[in-house]
Amino acid sequence: MKLELGLIHVTDVQFGPESKIEGSVVYLNEEEIKKIVLEDETIKSVKLDIARPGESVRITPVKDVVEPRVKVEGRGGVFPGWTHKVDTVGEGKTNVLKGMAVVTTGKIVGFQEGVIDMVGEGAKYTPFSKTVNLVLDIEPVEGLKQHEYEKAVRLANLKVSTAIGELARNITPDEVKVYEHDTIMEGIKKYPDLPRVGYVLMLQSQGLLHDTYVYGVDAKQTLTTMIMPTEIFDGAIVSGNCVSACDKNPTYIHENNPVVEELFAQHGKTLNFVGVIITNENVYLADKMRSSDWSAKLCKYLGLDGVIISQEGFGNPDTDLIMNCKKIEAEGVKTVLITDEYAGQDGASQSLADADVAADAVVTGGNANVVVHLPKLDKVIGHIEYVDTIAGGWSGSLQPDGSIIAELQVITSSTNEQGFGKLSAR
Amino acid sequence: MTIVTNNPDVKSKYEDDHTVVFVEGGYKDVLVKVRDLVHEGHQLLTHPLMGSLKPNETPYRSIAVSAQKGPVDTDSVILISESIETFDKFAKIVRPDRGTNTPERLLADFRLIDLTLISSAVDFH
Repeated sequence: MKLELGLIHVTDVQFGPESKIEGSVVYLNEEEIKKIVLEDETIKSVKLDIARPGESVRITPVKDVVEPRVKVEGRGGVFPGWTHKVDTVGEGKTNVLKGMAVVTTGKIVGFQEGVIDMVGEGAKYTPFSKTVNLVLDIEPVEGLKQHEYEKAVRLANLKVSTAIGELARNITPDEVKVYEHDTIMEGIKKYPDLPRVGYVLMLQSQGLLHDTYVYGVDAKQTLTTMIMPTEIFDGAIVSGNCVSACDKNPTYIHENNPVVEELFAQHGKTLNFVGVIITNENVYLADKMRSSDWSAKLCKYLGLDGVIISQEGFGNPDTDLIMNCKKIEAEGVKTVLITDEYAGQDGASQSLADADVAADAVVTGGNANVVVHLPKLDKVIGHIEYVDTIAGGWSGSLQPDGSIIAELQVITSSTNEQGFGKLSAR
Repeated sequence: MTIVTNNPDVKSKYEDDHTVVFVEGGYKDVLVKVRDLVHEGHQLLTHPLMGSLKPNETPYRSIAVSAQKGPVDTDSVILISESIETFDKFAKIVRPDRGTNTPERLLADFRLIDLTLISSAVDFH
Protein backbone atom coordinates (compact mmCIF):
# COMPACT_ATOMS: atom_id res chain seq x y z
CA MET A 1 0.00 0.00 0.00
CA LYS A 2 1.50 3.32 -1.08
CA LEU A 3 0.48 6.77 0.12
CA GLU A 4 2.00 10.06 -0.93
CA LEU A 5 1.56 12.91 1.50
CA GLY A 6 1.80 16.23 -0.27
CA LEU A 7 2.81 18.82 2.30
CA ILE A 8 1.71 22.39 1.73
CA HIS A 9 3.60 24.57 4.17
CA VAL A 10 1.27 27.08 5.82
CA THR A 11 2.81 30.17 7.40
CA ASP A 12 -0.39 32.05 8.21
CA VAL A 13 -4.17 31.83 8.38
CA GLN A 14 -6.23 34.97 7.85
CA PHE A 15 -9.90 35.83 7.56
CA GLY A 16 -10.85 37.32 4.19
CA PRO A 17 -13.68 37.66 1.70
CA GLU A 18 -12.88 34.40 -0.06
CA SER A 19 -11.71 31.04 1.25
CA LYS A 20 -8.58 30.12 -0.68
CA ILE A 21 -4.91 29.28 -0.42
CA GLU A 22 -2.41 31.70 -1.88
CA GLY A 23 1.24 30.89 -1.52
CA SER A 24 1.67 29.76 2.06
CA VAL A 25 -1.33 31.67 3.43
CA VAL A 26 -4.75 30.14 4.05
CA TYR A 27 -7.58 32.69 3.73
CA LEU A 28 -10.91 31.78 5.27
CA ASN A 29 -14.30 33.37 4.88
CA GLU A 30 -15.50 33.54 8.46
CA GLU A 31 -19.19 33.27 7.59
CA GLU A 32 -18.63 30.14 5.48
CA ILE A 33 -16.86 28.41 8.35
CA LYS A 34 -19.55 29.45 10.82
CA LYS A 35 -22.24 28.14 8.48
CA ILE A 36 -20.59 24.70 8.42
CA VAL A 37 -20.56 24.59 12.21
CA LEU A 38 -24.11 25.91 12.59
CA GLU A 39 -25.55 23.26 10.24
CA ASP A 40 -25.73 21.25 13.45
CA GLU A 41 -28.93 22.28 15.21
CA THR A 42 -27.49 21.40 18.60
CA ILE A 43 -24.98 24.24 18.29
CA LYS A 44 -26.24 27.69 19.26
CA SER A 45 -23.22 29.76 18.29
CA VAL A 46 -19.57 29.62 17.36
CA LYS A 47 -16.82 32.19 17.75
CA LEU A 48 -13.79 31.97 15.48
CA ASP A 49 -10.32 33.17 16.27
CA ILE A 50 -6.79 32.67 15.02
CA ALA A 51 -3.81 32.09 17.29
CA ARG A 52 -0.31 32.33 15.84
CA PRO A 53 3.05 31.15 17.19
CA GLY A 54 4.70 33.85 19.29
CA GLU A 55 1.46 35.76 20.03
CA SER A 56 0.54 36.43 23.63
CA VAL A 57 -2.47 34.10 23.45
CA ARG A 58 -3.74 31.27 25.64
CA ILE A 59 -6.34 28.79 24.33
CA THR A 60 -8.36 26.85 26.94
CA PRO A 61 -10.12 24.45 27.52
CA VAL A 62 -8.97 22.60 24.42
CA LYS A 63 -11.07 19.65 23.25
CA ASP A 64 -9.41 18.39 20.08
CA VAL A 65 -6.83 19.47 17.54
CA VAL A 66 -7.11 18.41 13.90
CA GLU A 67 -4.83 18.88 10.88
CA PRO A 68 -6.73 19.65 7.66
CA ARG A 69 -6.08 17.11 4.91
CA VAL A 70 -7.69 16.18 1.61
CA LYS A 71 -7.59 12.98 -0.39
CA VAL A 72 -6.66 13.90 -3.95
CA GLU A 73 -6.12 10.45 -5.40
CA GLY A 74 -7.17 6.98 -4.32
CA ARG A 75 -10.18 5.50 -2.58
CA GLY A 76 -12.30 7.28 -0.01
CA GLY A 77 -11.87 10.55 1.80
CA VAL A 78 -10.27 11.76 5.02
CA PHE A 79 -11.97 10.94 8.35
CA PRO A 80 -13.83 7.93 6.94
CA GLY A 81 -17.04 7.22 8.82
CA TRP A 82 -17.44 10.91 9.65
CA THR A 83 -17.04 13.37 6.80
CA HIS A 84 -16.65 10.69 4.13
CA LYS A 85 -18.01 7.19 3.57
CA VAL A 86 -16.22 4.25 5.15
CA ASP A 87 -14.24 3.39 2.00
CA THR A 88 -10.79 2.07 2.87
CA VAL A 89 -8.28 4.91 2.84
CA GLY A 90 -4.48 4.91 2.98
CA GLU A 91 -3.63 4.61 -0.69
CA GLY A 92 -3.00 7.22 -3.37
CA LYS A 93 -2.30 10.88 -2.63
CA THR A 94 -3.32 13.11 0.26
CA ASN A 95 -2.57 16.80 0.58
CA VAL A 96 -1.77 18.13 4.03
CA LEU A 97 -1.92 21.71 5.31
CA LYS A 98 1.27 21.47 7.34
CA GLY A 99 1.74 24.19 9.92
CA MET A 100 -1.89 24.86 10.77
CA ALA A 101 -4.47 23.19 12.95
CA VAL A 102 -8.13 23.48 13.85
CA VAL A 103 -8.64 23.61 17.61
CA THR A 104 -12.00 23.24 19.37
CA THR A 105 -12.88 24.69 22.74
CA GLY A 106 -16.10 24.51 24.75
CA LYS A 107 -17.26 24.01 28.32
CA ILE A 108 -18.62 20.47 28.05
CA VAL A 109 -18.17 19.68 31.73
CA GLY A 110 -17.15 21.95 34.57
CA PHE A 111 -13.73 20.49 35.23
CA GLN A 112 -12.55 20.57 31.65
CA GLU A 113 -8.97 21.03 30.67
CA GLY A 114 -6.31 21.58 28.08
CA VAL A 115 -4.13 24.68 27.72
CA ILE A 116 -2.27 25.80 24.60
CA ASP A 117 0.00 28.82 25.16
CA MET A 118 1.37 30.38 21.99
CA VAL A 119 4.32 32.00 23.79
CA GLY A 120 6.29 31.74 27.03
CA GLU A 121 6.92 28.84 29.38
CA GLY A 122 3.77 26.90 28.41
CA ALA A 123 4.55 27.12 24.71
CA LYS A 124 7.68 25.04 25.29
CA TYR A 125 5.60 22.05 26.33
CA THR A 126 2.85 21.89 23.69
CA PRO A 127 3.48 21.04 20.04
CA PHE A 128 0.50 23.24 19.13
CA SER A 129 2.32 26.47 19.98
CA LYS A 130 4.14 25.92 16.69
CA THR A 131 1.04 25.70 14.50
CA VAL A 132 -1.21 28.54 13.33
CA ASN A 133 -4.46 27.60 15.03
CA LEU A 134 -7.98 28.32 13.85
CA VAL A 135 -9.97 28.10 17.08
CA LEU A 136 -13.67 27.20 17.17
CA ASP A 137 -15.30 28.21 20.45
CA ILE A 138 -18.58 26.31 20.39
CA GLU A 139 -21.67 27.11 22.47
CA PRO A 140 -24.47 24.51 22.57
CA VAL A 141 -28.23 25.11 22.58
CA GLU A 142 -29.68 25.25 26.05
CA GLY A 143 -30.22 21.92 27.79
CA LEU A 144 -27.98 19.89 25.48
CA LYS A 145 -26.64 16.82 27.27
CA GLN A 146 -22.87 16.57 27.69
CA HIS A 147 -22.48 13.54 25.40
CA GLU A 148 -24.40 15.29 22.60
CA TYR A 149 -22.32 18.43 23.11
CA GLU A 150 -19.08 16.44 22.92
CA LYS A 151 -20.24 14.82 19.68
CA ALA A 152 -21.26 18.18 18.19
CA VAL A 153 -17.85 19.69 18.99
CA ARG A 154 -16.01 16.67 17.61
CA LEU A 155 -18.01 16.68 14.37
CA ALA A 156 -17.71 20.44 13.94
CA ASN A 157 -13.93 20.18 13.97
CA LEU A 158 -13.88 17.30 11.50
CA LYS A 159 -16.27 19.11 9.13
CA VAL A 160 -14.35 22.39 9.26
CA SER A 161 -11.00 20.62 8.86
CA THR A 162 -12.36 18.68 5.88
CA ALA A 163 -13.65 21.89 4.27
CA ILE A 164 -10.32 23.67 4.79
CA GLY A 165 -8.51 20.60 3.46
CA GLU A 166 -10.62 20.82 0.29
CA LEU A 167 -9.01 24.20 -0.45
CA ALA A 168 -5.73 22.30 -0.92
CA ARG A 169 -7.13 19.80 -3.43
CA ASN A 170 -5.58 21.40 -6.52
CA ILE A 171 -2.50 22.92 -4.91
CA THR A 172 0.91 21.59 -5.90
CA PRO A 173 2.59 20.52 -2.66
CA ASP A 174 5.86 22.08 -1.48
CA GLU A 175 7.15 18.68 -0.46
CA VAL A 176 6.08 15.09 -1.10
CA LYS A 177 6.67 12.25 1.36
CA VAL A 178 6.15 8.70 0.15
CA TYR A 179 5.09 5.91 2.51
CA GLU A 180 5.08 2.43 1.08
CA HIS A 181 3.90 -0.42 3.23
CA ASP A 182 4.95 -3.87 2.07
CA THR A 183 2.64 -6.87 2.31
CA ILE A 184 3.84 -9.58 4.68
CA MET A 185 5.19 -11.66 1.79
CA GLU A 186 6.97 -8.70 0.18
CA GLY A 187 8.58 -7.75 3.47
CA ILE A 188 9.90 -11.28 4.06
CA LYS A 189 11.36 -11.48 0.55
CA LYS A 190 12.91 -8.00 0.56
CA TYR A 191 14.33 -7.96 4.08
CA PRO A 192 14.94 -11.56 5.19
CA ASP A 193 17.69 -10.54 7.60
CA LEU A 194 16.07 -7.56 9.29
CA PRO A 195 14.14 -7.87 12.57
CA ARG A 196 10.37 -7.98 12.07
CA VAL A 197 8.88 -5.12 14.07
CA GLY A 198 5.26 -4.19 14.71
CA TYR A 199 3.42 -1.46 16.59
CA VAL A 200 0.64 -2.05 19.12
CA LEU A 201 -1.33 1.18 19.26
CA MET A 202 -3.58 1.34 22.32
CA LEU A 203 -6.73 3.46 22.02
CA GLN A 204 -8.56 5.08 24.93
CA SER A 205 -12.09 3.62 25.07
CA GLN A 206 -13.79 3.97 28.43
CA GLY A 207 -16.89 6.13 27.99
CA LEU A 208 -17.98 9.76 27.77
CA LEU A 209 -15.00 12.03 27.03
CA HIS A 210 -12.76 8.95 27.04
CA ASP A 211 -13.46 7.49 23.58
CA THR A 212 -11.70 6.91 20.26
CA TYR A 213 -13.23 6.02 16.91
CA VAL A 214 -11.89 3.87 14.08
CA TYR A 215 -13.67 4.40 10.75
CA GLY A 216 -16.52 5.84 12.81
CA VAL A 217 -16.79 2.82 15.13
CA ASP A 218 -16.49 3.32 18.89
CA ALA A 219 -13.25 1.50 19.77
CA LYS A 220 -14.66 0.06 22.99
CA GLN A 221 -16.94 -2.14 20.90
CA THR A 222 -14.11 -3.49 18.75
CA LEU A 223 -11.81 -6.48 18.98
CA THR A 224 -8.07 -6.06 18.60
CA THR A 225 -7.33 -5.88 14.89
CA MET A 226 -4.87 -4.63 12.30
CA ILE A 227 -4.89 -1.32 10.48
CA MET A 228 -2.60 -0.29 7.65
CA PRO A 229 -0.27 2.45 8.88
CA THR A 230 -1.14 4.71 5.95
CA GLU A 231 -4.85 4.51 6.86
CA ILE A 232 -3.97 6.32 10.09
CA PHE A 233 -2.43 9.19 8.06
CA ASP A 234 -5.78 9.57 6.25
CA GLY A 235 -7.70 10.17 9.48
CA ALA A 236 -9.01 6.63 10.07
CA ILE A 237 -8.57 7.17 13.84
CA VAL A 238 -10.43 10.09 15.42
CA SER A 239 -10.25 11.23 19.04
CA GLY A 240 -13.31 11.69 21.23
CA ASN A 241 -11.07 11.82 24.27
CA CYS A 242 -11.26 15.10 26.17
CA VAL A 243 -9.82 14.07 29.54
CA SER A 244 -6.18 14.22 30.58
CA ALA A 245 -4.87 16.91 28.25
CA CYS A 246 -1.23 15.98 28.61
CA ASP A 247 -1.43 12.36 27.54
CA LYS A 248 -4.51 11.94 25.39
CA ASN A 249 -3.95 11.61 21.67
CA PRO A 250 -5.70 14.42 19.77
CA THR A 251 -6.79 13.53 16.23
CA TYR A 252 -3.83 15.63 14.96
CA ILE A 253 -1.35 13.28 16.66
CA HIS A 254 -3.09 10.21 15.26
CA GLU A 255 -2.83 11.78 11.78
CA ASN A 256 0.88 12.38 12.43
CA ASN A 257 1.58 9.28 14.54
CA PRO A 258 5.32 9.65 15.25
CA VAL A 259 5.85 5.94 15.95
CA VAL A 260 4.46 5.07 12.54
CA GLU A 261 6.56 7.83 10.95
CA GLU A 262 9.74 6.50 12.54
CA LEU A 263 8.98 2.87 11.72
CA PHE A 264 8.52 3.88 8.08
CA ALA A 265 11.81 5.80 8.23
CA GLN A 266 13.63 2.73 9.55
CA HIS A 267 11.86 0.23 7.29
CA GLY A 268 14.36 -1.60 5.11
CA LYS A 269 17.30 -0.05 6.97
CA THR A 270 17.35 -1.28 10.56
CA LEU A 271 14.08 -3.20 10.65
CA ASN A 272 11.20 -4.62 8.67
CA PHE A 273 8.03 -2.69 9.63
CA VAL A 274 5.42 -5.43 9.49
CA GLY A 275 2.25 -3.68 10.65
CA VAL A 276 0.09 -1.89 13.19
CA ILE A 277 -2.21 -3.61 15.67
CA ILE A 278 -4.91 -1.46 17.30
CA THR A 279 -6.32 -2.50 20.64
CA ASN A 280 -8.70 -0.83 23.08
CA GLU A 281 -8.55 0.14 26.77
CA ASN A 282 -11.91 -0.80 28.25
CA VAL A 283 -13.11 -0.53 31.84
CA TYR A 284 -14.32 -4.13 32.04
CA LEU A 285 -11.52 -6.48 33.09
CA ALA A 286 -12.69 -9.35 30.86
CA ASP A 287 -12.42 -6.95 27.90
CA LYS A 288 -8.84 -6.15 28.90
CA MET A 289 -7.99 -9.84 29.02
CA ARG A 290 -9.60 -10.50 25.65
CA SER A 291 -8.03 -7.51 23.93
CA SER A 292 -4.51 -8.21 25.24
CA ASP A 293 -4.86 -11.93 24.42
CA TRP A 294 -5.66 -10.92 20.86
CA SER A 295 -2.72 -8.49 20.68
CA ALA A 296 -0.36 -11.28 21.72
CA LYS A 297 -2.01 -13.75 19.33
CA LEU A 298 -1.61 -11.37 16.38
CA CYS A 299 2.02 -10.58 17.27
CA LYS A 300 2.82 -14.28 17.31
CA TYR A 301 0.89 -14.97 14.12
CA LEU A 302 2.77 -12.20 12.30
CA GLY A 303 6.07 -13.75 13.39
CA LEU A 304 7.27 -10.52 14.97
CA ASP A 305 10.62 -10.19 16.69
CA GLY A 306 9.68 -6.99 18.49
CA VAL A 307 6.89 -4.49 19.02
CA ILE A 308 6.53 -0.96 20.25
CA ILE A 309 3.48 -0.47 22.47
CA SER A 310 2.06 3.01 23.10
CA GLN A 311 -0.69 3.65 25.63
CA GLU A 312 -3.14 6.48 26.13
CA GLY A 313 -4.14 7.82 29.53
CA PHE A 314 -3.32 6.91 33.11
CA GLY A 315 -4.27 4.30 35.73
CA ASN A 316 -6.62 1.85 34.15
CA PRO A 317 -4.69 1.84 30.82
CA ASP A 318 -1.51 1.02 32.74
CA THR A 319 -3.11 -2.37 33.35
CA ASP A 320 -3.80 -2.82 29.61
CA LEU A 321 -0.23 -1.75 28.88
CA ILE A 322 1.27 -4.28 31.26
CA MET A 323 -1.12 -7.04 30.14
CA ASN A 324 -0.10 -6.42 26.52
CA CYS A 325 3.57 -6.36 27.48
CA LYS A 326 3.49 -9.57 29.55
CA LYS A 327 1.48 -11.59 27.07
CA ILE A 328 3.41 -10.44 24.02
CA GLU A 329 6.75 -11.10 25.75
CA ALA A 330 5.45 -14.55 26.72
CA GLU A 331 5.10 -15.27 23.00
CA GLY A 332 8.80 -14.57 22.58
CA VAL A 333 8.32 -11.09 21.11
CA LYS A 334 10.40 -8.28 22.62
CA THR A 335 8.51 -5.14 23.67
CA VAL A 336 9.35 -1.48 24.15
CA LEU A 337 6.67 0.54 25.94
CA ILE A 338 5.91 4.24 25.56
CA THR A 339 4.07 5.86 28.45
CA ASP A 340 4.22 8.96 30.63
CA GLU A 341 4.52 9.18 34.39
CA TYR A 342 2.60 10.39 37.41
CA ALA A 343 5.55 10.23 39.74
CA GLY A 344 4.51 13.00 42.15
CA GLN A 345 5.53 16.65 42.04
CA ASP A 346 9.04 15.69 43.21
CA GLY A 347 9.25 12.78 40.78
CA ALA A 348 10.02 10.36 43.62
CA SER A 349 6.90 8.15 43.55
CA GLN A 350 6.02 5.03 41.58
CA SER A 351 5.28 6.23 38.03
CA LEU A 352 2.64 3.79 36.86
CA ALA A 353 -0.33 2.09 38.52
CA ASP A 354 0.91 -1.31 37.34
CA ALA A 355 4.27 -2.91 36.64
CA ASP A 356 5.91 -6.20 35.68
CA VAL A 357 9.43 -7.53 35.24
CA ALA A 358 8.67 -8.09 31.54
CA ALA A 359 8.42 -4.30 31.16
CA ASP A 360 12.18 -3.82 31.06
CA ALA A 361 12.33 -1.36 28.13
CA VAL A 362 10.22 1.73 28.71
CA VAL A 363 10.35 5.18 27.14
CA THR A 364 8.74 8.03 29.06
CA GLY A 365 7.01 11.09 27.70
CA GLY A 366 7.68 12.98 30.96
CA ASN A 367 6.28 13.39 34.47
CA ALA A 368 2.80 14.96 34.31
CA ASN A 369 2.90 15.99 38.01
CA VAL A 370 5.71 18.52 37.52
CA VAL A 371 4.55 22.01 38.55
CA VAL A 372 4.83 24.78 35.98
CA HIS A 373 4.25 28.52 36.29
CA LEU A 374 2.64 29.97 33.19
CA PRO A 375 2.79 33.76 32.80
CA LYS A 376 -0.24 35.96 32.22
CA LEU A 377 -0.87 36.31 28.52
CA ASP A 378 -2.63 39.24 26.87
CA LYS A 379 -5.48 37.35 25.30
CA VAL A 380 -7.47 34.25 26.22
CA ILE A 381 -9.48 32.34 23.63
CA GLY A 382 -12.06 30.16 25.31
CA HIS A 383 -12.87 30.21 29.02
CA ILE A 384 -10.12 31.10 31.50
CA GLU A 385 -12.38 30.50 34.52
CA TYR A 386 -11.95 26.78 33.88
CA VAL A 387 -8.28 26.83 34.79
CA ASP A 388 -9.14 26.59 38.48
CA THR A 389 -11.07 23.43 37.81
CA ILE A 390 -8.87 21.94 35.15
CA ALA A 391 -7.23 18.52 35.60
CA GLY A 392 -3.89 19.28 37.19
CA GLY A 393 -5.03 22.64 38.47
CA TRP A 394 -6.59 23.53 41.79
CA SER A 395 -8.36 26.38 43.52
CA GLY A 396 -5.86 29.19 43.27
CA SER A 397 -4.21 27.86 40.13
CA LEU A 398 -5.32 31.03 38.46
CA GLN A 399 -3.26 33.67 40.27
CA PRO A 400 -4.50 37.24 40.92
CA ASP A 401 -1.96 38.51 38.38
CA GLY A 402 -3.43 36.24 35.69
CA SER A 403 -0.60 33.73 35.72
CA ILE A 404 -1.25 30.03 36.33
CA ILE A 405 0.48 27.63 38.68
CA ALA A 406 -0.47 24.08 37.81
CA GLU A 407 0.88 20.67 36.97
CA LEU A 408 2.17 19.92 33.51
CA GLN A 409 -0.90 17.77 32.91
CA VAL A 410 -2.96 20.92 32.15
CA ILE A 411 -1.00 21.48 28.92
CA THR A 412 -2.28 19.84 25.78
CA SER A 413 -0.01 16.98 24.62
CA SER A 414 2.85 17.91 26.98
CA THR A 415 3.56 14.29 27.96
CA ASN A 416 2.12 12.60 24.89
CA GLU A 417 2.45 8.82 24.97
CA GLN A 418 3.11 8.41 21.27
CA GLY A 419 6.21 10.50 21.86
CA PHE A 420 4.92 13.52 19.93
CA GLY A 421 6.14 15.94 22.57
CA LYS A 422 9.63 17.02 23.47
CA LEU A 423 9.94 15.65 27.00
CA SER A 424 11.66 12.48 28.04
CA ALA A 425 14.09 11.34 30.72
CA ARG A 426 17.50 9.81 30.93
CA MET B 1 -23.00 -8.34 39.21
CA THR B 2 -22.61 -6.23 42.34
CA ILE B 3 -21.84 -2.54 42.01
CA VAL B 4 -20.04 -0.79 44.84
CA THR B 5 -20.44 2.97 44.59
CA ASN B 6 -20.63 6.27 46.42
CA ASN B 7 -22.36 7.86 43.43
CA PRO B 8 -26.11 8.33 44.01
CA ASP B 9 -26.74 8.48 40.23
CA VAL B 10 -25.22 5.02 39.78
CA LYS B 11 -27.31 3.73 42.65
CA SER B 12 -30.55 5.05 41.22
CA LYS B 13 -29.81 3.78 37.71
CA TYR B 14 -28.85 0.24 38.67
CA GLU B 15 -30.46 -0.65 41.99
CA ASP B 16 -33.51 -2.27 40.35
CA ASP B 17 -31.49 -4.68 38.19
CA HIS B 18 -28.29 -5.20 40.15
CA THR B 19 -27.13 -5.46 43.71
CA VAL B 20 -25.81 -2.03 44.64
CA VAL B 21 -23.66 -1.58 47.72
CA PHE B 22 -23.89 2.12 48.47
CA VAL B 23 -20.95 3.52 50.39
CA GLU B 24 -21.50 6.67 52.45
CA GLY B 25 -18.05 8.14 52.02
CA GLY B 26 -15.33 9.00 49.52
CA TYR B 27 -13.39 7.34 46.71
CA LYS B 28 -11.04 5.63 49.18
CA ASP B 29 -13.97 4.22 51.17
CA VAL B 30 -15.25 2.57 47.99
CA LEU B 31 -11.82 1.05 47.31
CA VAL B 32 -11.63 -0.28 50.87
CA LYS B 33 -15.13 -1.76 50.68
CA VAL B 34 -14.19 -3.49 47.42
CA ARG B 35 -10.98 -4.79 48.98
CA ASP B 36 -13.04 -6.33 51.77
CA LEU B 37 -15.39 -7.98 49.27
CA VAL B 38 -12.43 -9.27 47.23
CA HIS B 39 -10.96 -10.78 50.40
CA GLU B 40 -14.30 -12.52 50.98
CA GLY B 41 -14.07 -14.14 47.52
CA HIS B 42 -15.77 -11.69 45.15
CA GLN B 43 -13.95 -11.14 41.88
CA LEU B 44 -13.20 -7.70 40.45
CA LEU B 45 -15.06 -7.12 37.18
CA THR B 46 -14.04 -3.51 36.42
CA HIS B 47 -10.78 -1.66 36.89
CA PRO B 48 -10.81 0.27 40.18
CA LEU B 49 -9.00 3.24 38.57
CA MET B 50 -11.22 3.60 35.50
CA GLY B 51 -11.17 6.98 33.79
CA SER B 52 -8.50 9.62 33.35
CA LEU B 53 -9.70 11.74 36.26
CA LYS B 54 -7.14 11.22 38.95
CA PRO B 55 -7.97 9.81 42.38
CA ASN B 56 -7.45 13.22 44.02
CA GLU B 57 -9.77 14.93 41.53
CA THR B 58 -13.06 13.08 41.25
CA PRO B 59 -14.89 12.36 44.51
CA TYR B 60 -16.89 9.49 42.97
CA ARG B 61 -16.02 5.91 42.32
CA SER B 62 -18.02 2.92 41.12
CA ILE B 63 -16.60 -0.58 40.82
CA ALA B 64 -18.30 -3.81 39.71
CA VAL B 65 -17.52 -7.12 41.41
CA SER B 66 -18.99 -10.59 40.88
CA ALA B 67 -22.28 -11.24 42.63
CA GLN B 68 -21.09 -14.74 43.57
CA LYS B 69 -18.32 -15.52 45.99
CA GLY B 70 -15.69 -18.15 45.17
CA PRO B 71 -12.11 -18.92 46.14
CA VAL B 72 -10.17 -15.70 46.70
CA ASP B 73 -9.03 -14.39 43.30
CA THR B 74 -5.35 -13.43 43.52
CA ASP B 75 -5.42 -11.13 40.48
CA SER B 76 -8.27 -9.18 42.06
CA VAL B 77 -6.43 -8.94 45.38
CA ILE B 78 -3.31 -7.57 43.67
CA LEU B 79 -5.23 -5.11 41.49
CA ILE B 80 -7.30 -3.62 44.31
CA SER B 81 -4.22 -3.40 46.55
CA GLU B 82 -2.22 -1.62 43.85
CA SER B 83 -5.14 0.71 43.22
CA ILE B 84 -5.29 1.67 46.90
CA GLU B 85 -1.53 2.35 46.82
CA THR B 86 -2.02 4.56 43.77
CA PHE B 87 -4.89 6.39 45.48
CA ASP B 88 -2.70 7.06 48.51
CA LYS B 89 0.09 8.39 46.27
CA PHE B 90 -2.27 10.91 44.68
CA ALA B 91 -3.90 11.81 48.00
CA LYS B 92 -0.57 13.34 49.08
CA ILE B 93 -1.05 16.05 46.46
CA VAL B 94 -3.74 18.19 48.06
CA ARG B 95 -6.32 19.81 45.82
CA PRO B 96 -8.39 22.32 47.76
CA ASP B 97 -11.37 22.15 45.38
CA ARG B 98 -11.06 18.54 44.47
CA GLY B 99 -11.79 15.11 45.82
CA THR B 100 -13.91 15.31 48.94
CA ASN B 101 -13.76 19.13 48.81
CA THR B 102 -15.20 19.44 45.32
CA PRO B 103 -17.59 22.40 45.11
CA GLU B 104 -21.25 21.75 44.47
CA ARG B 105 -21.19 23.18 40.93
CA LEU B 106 -18.78 20.44 39.75
CA LEU B 107 -20.32 17.47 41.54
CA ALA B 108 -22.99 16.71 38.92
CA ASP B 109 -20.37 16.54 36.14
CA PHE B 110 -18.13 14.21 38.17
CA ARG B 111 -21.17 12.02 38.89
CA LEU B 112 -22.01 11.94 35.19
CA ILE B 113 -18.51 10.87 34.11
CA ASP B 114 -18.42 8.15 36.78
CA LEU B 115 -21.88 6.96 35.69
CA THR B 116 -21.00 6.79 31.97
CA LEU B 117 -17.72 5.00 32.64
CA ILE B 118 -19.28 2.28 34.78
CA SER B 119 -22.19 2.06 32.31
CA SER B 120 -19.73 1.28 29.52
CA ALA B 121 -18.96 -1.90 31.46
CA VAL B 122 -22.32 -2.76 33.02
CA ASP B 123 -24.56 -2.14 30.00
CA PHE B 124 -22.54 -4.33 27.66
CA HIS B 125 -22.13 -7.35 29.94
